Amino acid sequence: MSNAEFLETALKAAVSAGNLIEERHKDILNVSRKESLRDIVTHVDKLAENQIIDILKDYDKNIPILTEESGFVQGNLEKTYWIVDALDGTVNYVNHIPFYAVSIALFVKNKITVGVIFNPYSNELYYGADGLGVFKNQKSLKIIDKIPEECLFSMAFSGKKYEAAKRVDEFMLFGKINDSSRGCLRTGSAAMNLAYLAEGKFGGCLGKANRIWDVAAGLLLAELAGATVKFKEVDKEKYLVDYIATTPKAWNSIFSNVEGVYQV
Amino acid sequence: MKKKILIFGAGAIGRGFIPWVFPPSEFEINYVESNPQIRDLLNKQKKFLTFKTNNDKYEKLEVPIVHCYSPGDIPDEIIENMDIVITAVGPRNALSLKESLINTNVPVICCENDSTIPESLKAATNNPNIVFGIPDVITSNTAPEELLKQDPLSIVTENGVCYIDNKVSEIGGNCHYVDTDELRKQWLAKLYIHNTPHCIAAYLGNILMVNYIHESMKNESVEKIVSEAMFETEQMLVRRYQLEEEFVKSYSQKELRRFKNTLLFDPIIRVAREPFRKLATNDRLISAAELCLASGIVPENVMMGIMAAFCYNNEQDPDFNITYLMKSLQPRDFLKIIIGLRADDALFAIMVNQWKNNLQKLGELK
Repeated sequence: MSNAEFLETALKAAVSAGNLIEERHKDILNVSRKESLRDIVTHVDKLAENQIIDILKDYDKNIPILTEESGFVQGNLEKTYWIVDALDGTVNYVNHIPFYAVSIALFVKNKITVGVIFNPYSNELYYGADGLGVFKNQKSLKIIDKIPEECLFSMAFSGKKYEAAKRVDEFMLFGKINDSSRGCLRTGSAAMNLAYLAEGKFGGCLGKANRIWDVAAGLLLAELAGATVKFKEVDKEKYLVDYIATTPKAWNSIFSNVEGVYQV
Repeated sequence: MKKKILIFGAGAIGRGFIPWVFPPSEFEINYVESNPQIRDLLNKQKKFLTFKTNNDKYEKLEVPIVHCYSPGDIPDEIIENMDIVITAVGPRNALSLKESLINTNVPVICCENDSTIPESLKAATNNPNIVFGIPDVITSNTAPEELLKQDPLSIVTENGVCYIDNKVSEIGGNCHYVDTDELRKQWLAKLYIHNTPHCIAAYLGNILMVNYIHESMKNESVEKIVSEAMFETEQMLVRRYQLEEEFVKSYSQKELRRFKNTLLFDPIIRVAREPFRKLATNDRLISAAELCLASGIVPENVMMGIMAAFCYNNEQDPDFNITYLMKSLQPRDFLKIIIGLRADDALFAIMVNQWKNNLQKLGELK
């Protein structure tokens, strides 16, 4: 199967789930808490995830799927698997803040090869694949290289239960970047942060101990658009990664700032 | 003394047509071209041939050139030393010229297929002398084998007309300097009676898997769709913009003759290039269909052309991603997310309703 075929499948699944997420927006009944006050799930997350699983399985039932809510949905291929976050930014979604997305990526031999991020509220569809390029809706994306002083950054924080003692370091880092650039935002959707980097709206994105399903697609899209990207798995059981993705010109400055805080 | 001219873009219009409008007998010609093969050959040969089709024959013009610059390598004083600058780089690239044209008062004629480019460039460069030019012509970006043997840079154009804003009429040349009203009328006709059916002929030709527009037009079904799409846009121009019936009729007849010109070898891949640009809601396809509907005309044939554009499948095209999107998205999602139509739009409803039927008709073209 080619990257183009995988991409078409991921597009189909992401847009289908996105439509469901928007259709059900007015029906949010129950919000359940997971690991922290801001780690929540709704029945819409689960419905959308099931829809994605159905579409991906329909395409090839042998490819395993790593999901946020259902864990690993097994297939029999070892080195290829989908990574799915049916709704990244659930807190925003529940609060009707239009910054959330479906995120789907394909890993092949430990490399992300396909990525799709879809914000169904704004109809922003970001997609790309190795060898094919990266796009938003109709347009091909290429970031404009900018120095940190000309960049707006975004940062995604670790869950409260992860290395709580070090959280002050994260807040210090946030302040430092915020004061040495056009600002640093915490938006509530790491997937959309990285999509906006690919589009050139952000000059860089950082995240500590983020779930891999939040960022896998975005890391690929940012890289394909010309960003410098580095990430490292920091907790295999919890699927946590630290990552930095910035314009090439902003890289050295941001990278030197995160040393000791991030494990990239 | 000859006037000095710098032409951005040594492609179809820049190389094939502009030298007939601003001939080498009166103008000293320089180019800026991003394609290194064309640039190197122009600088090596210091001349090239352009052929004009006239009464079923080719008329030849040898064009000597002074120099062809790379876009990133134009000496600072060059533009100030010019009497005129022409852009013919394509609408997607035109705004990238702002750095080269900033803070100069040299007259600039934008021969781009988008009437908004001059205003955008004016705002970006502070040059008030930027005007619109409409090449009313079809120019191929290549030539048949027999002409390429004479010169690998040979190019074929029709015997066309160039309409230029009369604010820069002192430049001279073989063109029609016209006032704003006439320029607008010519642009509307070009956009909807030339551009719309021309690209429809290309997208239908792509489905037929032929190489040139005249080959596409040989197919009876294509000829019928193209001419009826032209009739739909003609009627729209008469009803909405009060263009004279006689003018639009003669314009249409001229265009149909052009599309069938067997000497021109107008490549499908040139005309069909960048389908998303042509499918923009303010461009030749969607806008034509919307304006037809708003004028009480159901644009069955324009919509068939739109569907053919959706089906354009060329891996080498900058908009090759249209194929993935068409394969993966439902019609409603494709129209809403990718094309940008609103779900409560009449065109949206009709396109969704006729989606399968139109796809089937296109399949039957083969």
